[in-house]
Amino acid sequence: MFIDNFRLRFYILFMESIQQLRSQFQQELLSISTLTQHEEISIKYLGRSGSINTLLKTIKDVPLEQKKEFGATVNGLKKEIEHALEEKKQQVLSQTEDAQYTDVTLPGTPYARGSVHLVTIAIEEISRVFSKLGFNRMSYPEIEWEQYSFENLNMPPEHPARDDFETFFVDHQPSDVFGKMILSPHTSSGQTREMQRVQKPPIRMINLAKCYRPNWDASHVPMFHQFEGLCVDTGITISHLKGTIDYFAKEFFGANRKTRIRPFHFQFTEPSFEVDVSCGVCDGTGIIDGTKCKICKSGWLELGGAGMVHPNVLKAGGIDSDVYSGWAFGFGIERTFMMKEGLNLDDIRVLYSGDVRFLEQF
Amino acid sequence: MNIKITHNWLLDYLETPAGPYDLQKYLSLCGPSFERVFDHTNDYSFDIEVTANRVDMASVLGVAQEAQAILPRFNIAAQLKQNPSQLTFKELGTPTGEKKLEIHLTDPSLCSRFAAIVLSDIKIGPAPDYIRERLRMCDIKSINNVVDISNYLMVSLGQPTHMFDYDKLKQAKMTMRESRPGEIVKTLDEKEIELPGGDIVMEDGEGNLFDLCGIMGGDNSAISPDTKNVILFVQTYNKRKIRRTSMKTGQRTIAATYFEKGLDEERVEPTLVYGVQLLQKYANAKINSPLYDIYPHPYTPKTISFTLHDITRIMGVTVSEKDVNDILGGLGFGLKKEGDTFVATVPSHRKDDIEIKADIVEEVARVWGYHNLPNEIQTTTYVKQPKELEQLFLLQSKVKYFLKDIGLHESMNYSMVSAELLQKCGLDPYAHLALENTISEETKYFRQSLIPSLVKNMKDNQGKKDVLKLFELAKVYLPRNNDLPDEQYRLAIAVTTDFSDVKGIVEVLLRDLHIHGFQIKRSQNSLYAPHVQAELFLNEEFLGTLGQLKQAYQLSNGIEKPIFIAELHFQTLIHHYRIVPLYQALNPYAVIKLDLTLPCNKKQDFSEIKQQAFASSEFLRTIDVLSQYQDKLTLRFYFAAKDRNLSEQEAKNELEKIKKNLLQ
Repeated sequence: MFIDNFRLRFYILFMESIQQLRSQFQQELLSISTLTQHEEISIKYLGRSGSINTLLKTIKDVPLEQKKEFGATVNGLKKEIEHALEEKKQQVLSQTEDAQYTDVTLPGTPYARGSVHLVTIAIEEISRVFSKLGFNRMSYPEIEWEQYSFENLNMPPEHPARDDFETFFVDHQPSDVFGKMILSPHTSSGQTREMQRVQKPPIRMINLAKCYRPNWDASHVPMFHQFEGLCVDTGITISHLKGTIDYFAKEFFGANRKTRIRPFHFQFTEPSFEVDVSCGVCDGTGIIDGTKCKICKSGWLELGGAGMVHPNVLKAGGIDSDVYSGWAFGFGIERTFMMKEGLNLDDIRVLYSGDVRFLEQF
Repeated sequence: MNIKITHNWLLDYLETPAGPYDLQKYLSLCGPSFERVFDHTNDYSFDIEVTANRVDMASVLGVAQEAQAILPRFNIAAQLKQNPSQLTFKELGTPTGEKKLEIHLTDPSLCSRFAAIVLSDIKIGPAPDYIRERLRMCDIKSINNVVDISNYLMVSLGQPTHMFDYDKLKQAKMTMRESRPGEIVKTLDEKEIELPGGDIVMEDGEGNLFDLCGIMGGDNSAISPDTKNVILFVQTYNKRKIRRTSMKTGQRTIAATYFEKGLDEERVEPTLVYGVQLLQKYANAKINSPLYDIYPHPYTPKTISFTLHDITRIMGVTVSEKDVNDILGGLGFGLKKEGDTFVATVPSHRKDDIEIKADIVEEVARVWGYHNLPNEIQTTTYVKQPKELEQLFLLQSKVKYFLKDIGLHESMNYSMVSAELLQKCGLDPYAHLALENTISEETKYFRQSLIPSLVKNMKDNQGKKDVLKLFELAKVYLPRNNDLPDEQYRLAIAVTTDFSDVKGIVEVLLRDLHIHGFQIKRSQNSLYAPHVQAELFLNEEFLGTLGQLKQAYQLSNGIEKPIFIAELHFQTLIHHYRIVPLYQALNPYAVIKLDLTLPCNKKQDFSEIKQQAFASSEFLRTIDVLSQYQDKLTLRFYFAAKDRNLSEQEAKNELEKIKKNLLQ
């Protein structure tokens, strides 16, 4: 009887405390509105020394035959609490997120971003293409002697390119040896400088530089840029020039472009060529939607001049033209790059105007 | 130069089944470029580009000669017909008559061949339809039979001629001489041209100029509807003189574009004979004078020797002996073989263009067809790039892209500036190299600093942006005695913000290039505001300047708000650039940070504070500037020992030591 009575009393007390804990929890659960509160309540009930664990620790005082029921009941409550807390957590999370609002259409934090000049971009791009063929970028004086710009390039004093409608002269005492001081009208002035520098071929040179000529209108500026390729070695042929230019065009303009060379004339190359690249707009057909392509001449665009280095130029550079041969080309950078990107500058003077509305576009 | 000819006109000279578009396609690949074909129903006209060295090609005959060599390469027959270029003076018999010319050539270097003949009983009227039609299709205006025949001769044979009215030269005197500066000639377009001097002119013996030779005839000797006696005048001139006169006087006539390229003296003979024949046929002309022909140095054919190897080593393919024969023969060269050597005889019309073996190689290669050559890339080989250039290009790229990434825009300006711009920046134009023949005062003086150009950019961009930050990396040109100028790269930066901004840009750039510890010194550069400027050094090496543009220059350039500028010597940056910074071992011991606010004091600038602080404490590692507000400067000091943890108290003691040595 005593025992029964004791059991009964324990049972009642135990059930009461479970009930109390449950209702206390349920009340507190209602008050949770933030993740921090949720965390506090979780610890209070489920933590290492939380209510559930405290209750479980009293199992040692529970009569043997009631231990099982006791354990099951407490674990049941624990599961109930865990479940309720998890549910609550999801509820709190979704409430917080529901309260969030961001206008995702607003612009982001403004970071400064400037620009490099169009010509800088072109120079880097062209250098990269030629470096893969082992061509070194070089640099030579912009203010030059006539000797390097003309005499050495097989252009005698009476050549029309040397008169003052075609070339800028610098107001400085002429050299007894090298003639007058001028502004280099082409990158070719570097050809014999490079020959004299290496003394003995092979030469694989690319020169991207400023050039100057006395013209100033919507399609000419007194300062512009050219890139010059020079290759001198034993056994260099026209086929090598064709192959190199074709490689350049495919790398620079696109794999589907074609190139051709046509007869032309330059004093410092023999034979001399005009280089054409197939038009990217009409795909070399010369016709778009049944009408004539406005960009090109019958499917071709003129890229610039090229040729086999004239024996007199090799001689001026100290190279034996019976042993070595070479090719050279010189193209306008601005023009070539505009052809690539289809940039249609109706007035090229804007390039060197410093107008920030132009500069910032690149 | 571009010329126009017609298809039927060409067929007068050339036997070929080639149609107009065949001619365009094939000749453009191997010879003259046929830029356009125009369909005129009964005929076609061609717009043809002729390169400066090939004036011999600038005629119907010249194009026919090219076609004879090129078309057979495309399996199209082509053969020159009997044509006027084969005419000789013999056709004229022994010309004589009652008219005489008193010719006086003061200097034989003016005119390498001088031919003339007088024709009488001329009846001025329209030229025959076929001549007028052909000229019209070639954009040449028809005037009358005599003038039209003159133009027809030029397009046919590439030799301009002139027709004078004999009766207008009262004394029948023709003195060819150089003009004196300021002499005036009235040309037949009724323009009065003041001559620069040294131009080839003709005078009538009474001091009147009646011809601006090679460019345009005089108004006072022009053919008119009642002309009865004509002088047919065929010359080859000193090409340099013609070009000079034409450029200087702005008279870019068709005749000038021929003569300035140098014409074939041998062509004078058939041109004159063909001219007489046409005038006889279409203008009732009768020969009425002796033939005048002054030709002191007749052409003696030159020869050039070459081998097949000379051709294949440049073309990269083997060309047969037959091809060489056909090609050069078609172009009018004579060809003989002596052992393995070919000897080519150069025709007179190619004498200026063909001088060496390489010229023969070009003729063979182009007609053989560049389009038939394979595309091959030469063997790649290693050539050393000079280290300093490698560094230069690497750093240019790094610096440009870094400045871009932090918000600056790269500007590119002309290398030459105006005297006005230099003066507006307090610089002396005459200390700069200058152009002798500039085309604009805007581009006359070579820059020795990039700053004036950037100042101009700032001015030009005023109102376009609230904040403007520009840079330029370019050469300056420093004059040297008896040598080319020293071309050095400068990096210039200009901003509209404040001094701290431009200095910050320079500092972060140096950090990005792993350049540590620059020295900054107050300076007295007249370009800048006297108290807002400094000079920068790297290990005693001058790096550059920075400061606020002096107010006077800001105003003279019309700039509303102050601008701040830096200009650095790019070579100095290259010298001190490192790929990676010096590695510093990580200090495992505690770093204690203490802040201190000091009054700003002119007598004690930040560099002074820094120097004092580091001298006072061996545990001081770094000083940061937290803020400068009104006249208070707040600094943060970082203390650490190298071998142990420093206590807070120790650090405070260190700060006290520092404070003692600073003005409070």
